[in-house]
Amino acid sequence: MVKGRVMDKKVYWLIKKEVKSIVRSRWLMLGFIISPIFAWMFQGAFLSFVVGETTVEPSDVYMTLEDNGPLGQQLFRSIVNHSEDLRIRQIINITREEGQQLIAERRLTVWIVIPENFTYLLNTTHSCLVEFYVNTGNFRATSVAWLIRGFIYSQITRIIVVQEVQFSWETIAPERTYGHQLAIFLIMLTSVVAPAPYVSQSFAGERERHTLEALLVVPMSRLKILAAKLVAGLVITVIYTGFTVVGVLLYNLSIIIRDAGLPDEPIDYTAFYTVNLASLPLIVFCQFLVLLCAIGIGVVISCLARDQATAEAVNNFALLIPTMVIGILGFAGSISAFGGLFGTFVMLVPFTHAILILNGVLSGAATPISLMGNMLYLLGFTVATLLIGAKLFEREAIIS
Amino acid sequence: MSAHDGPVIRTEELTKVFSPGTRREVVALDSVTMEVGRGEVFGLIGPNGAGKTTLIRLLVGLLRPTRGRAWVLGKDVVTEIEDIRPRVALLPQEAGIYERLTARENLVYYGGMYGIDEDELYRRADTLLEIVGLSDRADEQVKRFSGGMKRKVLVARALIIEPEVIFLDEPTTGVDTIGARIVRNLLRRLSSEDDLTIVLTTHDMVEVSELCHRVGILNEGRLVAIGRPSELEEKYRAADLEEVFMGLVTGEGVYGGEA
Repeated sequence: MVKGRVMDKKVYWLIKKEVKSIVRSRWLMLGFIISPIFAWMFQGAFLSFVVGETTVEPSDVYMTLEDNGPLGQQLFRSIVNHSEDLRIRQIINITREEGQQLIAERRLTVWIVIPENFTYLLNTTHSCLVEFYVNTGNFRATSVAWLIRGFIYSQITRIIVVQEVQFSWETIAPERTYGHQLAIFLIMLTSVVAPAPYVSQSFAGERERHTLEALLVVPMSRLKILAAKLVAGLVITVIYTGFTVVGVLLYNLSIIIRDAGLPDEPIDYTAFYTVNLASLPLIVFCQFLVLLCAIGIGVVISCLARDQATAEAVNNFALLIPTMVIGILGFAGSISAFGGLFGTFVMLVPFTHAILILNGVLSGAATPISLMGNMLYLLGFTVATLLIGAKLFEREAIIS
Repeated sequence: MSAHDGPVIRTEELTKVFSPGTRREVVALDSVTMEVGRGEVFGLIGPNGAGKTTLIRLLVGLLRPTRGRAWVLGKDVVTEIEDIRPRVALLPQEAGIYERLTARENLVYYGGMYGIDEDELYRRADTLLEIVGLSDRADEQVKRFSGGMKRKVLVARALIIEPEVIFLDEPTTGVDTIGARIVRNLLRRLSSEDDLTIVLTTHDMVEVSELCHRVGILNEGRLVAIGRPSELEEKYRAADLEEVFMGLVTGEGVYGGEA
């Protein structure tokens, strides 16, 4: 028991040494503070700009009129007649099959279906249903869809005051629902790169500065030395994630301020684009996993690299390229939709799972349970890299 | 901490081969057999690449021998290294220092990793910094120090754990004349008063003559001579140790006798 306490005390001093070295490195600290705030603030500024600019621009709308009754026909004509007010560039008539095809091909903007029993139901049950399929990743489409939704509601209640109109609202490519691909992209980039200076400084840097040799002869197992360095790494991830929370709050604030300046839009942009604070723990946890995974990969690279500069360069190369590829793919559609060898490669990259987690959380389309597989993969990958790192750290060659 | 009656350091046919069986194979140390007694200051001299650093790294468990065995404080350096480490200190060649920490922090944090009580650590750090003449700059970040001052901090750091054996790889390299004298006097005092066993490598023959009770001359991984400086001078009929060294390493003059 006493021996155990002494051992813990030794590790404590090493952690203290590591943390103090980090905290006194002003540029390193500044990076941890600025990166998450920048990522979110940039996204906030971008979304505010885009929301402000694109909500006055028209969009194509696909429509399917299945109802032969007078109310369905009348509603359709009303929409056509008010196209300009509703910011519709053109209405494209399609069949339900064609609409399904567009969904499958992810080419859909807004598709509104007035079903065949629309008039009948409205007359007999005093209730009707209009189907909306919207790519909410498309700002213009979303804006137009909301305008049409409000218009239909006013038309139906004007025709038959007591009637109730219901809307089914299905989002296309739910992982893009939030329209936050840029935020996710920036968060991922900054998260994977942020720990690199610390990791390469703490491992390859120690070797380069000839401090590692003296450290490795202290009466502590190499595993404990590695663990202490990782704990110090966790401290910086806590700093980083802490400032992520600050970044998210600033982001929300920027959206709220922008929304306050918009004219009477049918969409509540604040509700639609701000991050639900209830999902903040999941975002922070995801970022924590990403940072941990980046540290694990960084440890492996640093244990193999000859010097700090090489470690940092290889680290950036190994982390940035897959993250950029996956992040850019996210703009094009679902990153989980790729098949074959490429799809397998995409799913093997740990940060793919982080993007899926963030997409799910930000879109509100996911629950912690549904993201469990992604989280476990990310965690498993991290543990695997740390085990490899531990093996490499045990080698004789670590000092030469 | 158990007392050990025999030699503090003993090696038998100690050999280290890097990348064995490959084209890059290097025999860094070849069948070195030697002993160092308690309280002895033992100097290891030899040209660059002679195997001095490899020998020290083997003795502190940073490397594993390819062949042969070694004991420090009676403990096997491979199987009982955990028992050796709390009792030995190492000042590696070109040893770096944590630049963002203060001089005191460098000492205290290092000592803390040996499980020494915090109050005791600060007491020892203050004493050592005073001895090496840095007490007035104890709370200054080391990055502002000159190379020689950093080296003094490193010597103090190695001593903070009050080791029984200390391995110093070129301890006074880069230290000015006054600083080097301070370090030498400190080592001499620790050896004579505290029975500290010191193994040091150096290229400075004056340092060897001033400090070392015995020396071992390494060349291309082999221990080519071992003994007291005066014994070696007599044995090889040389005017001083430098002449012995030059003769054995470069072949200037042909000596009789064996290591």
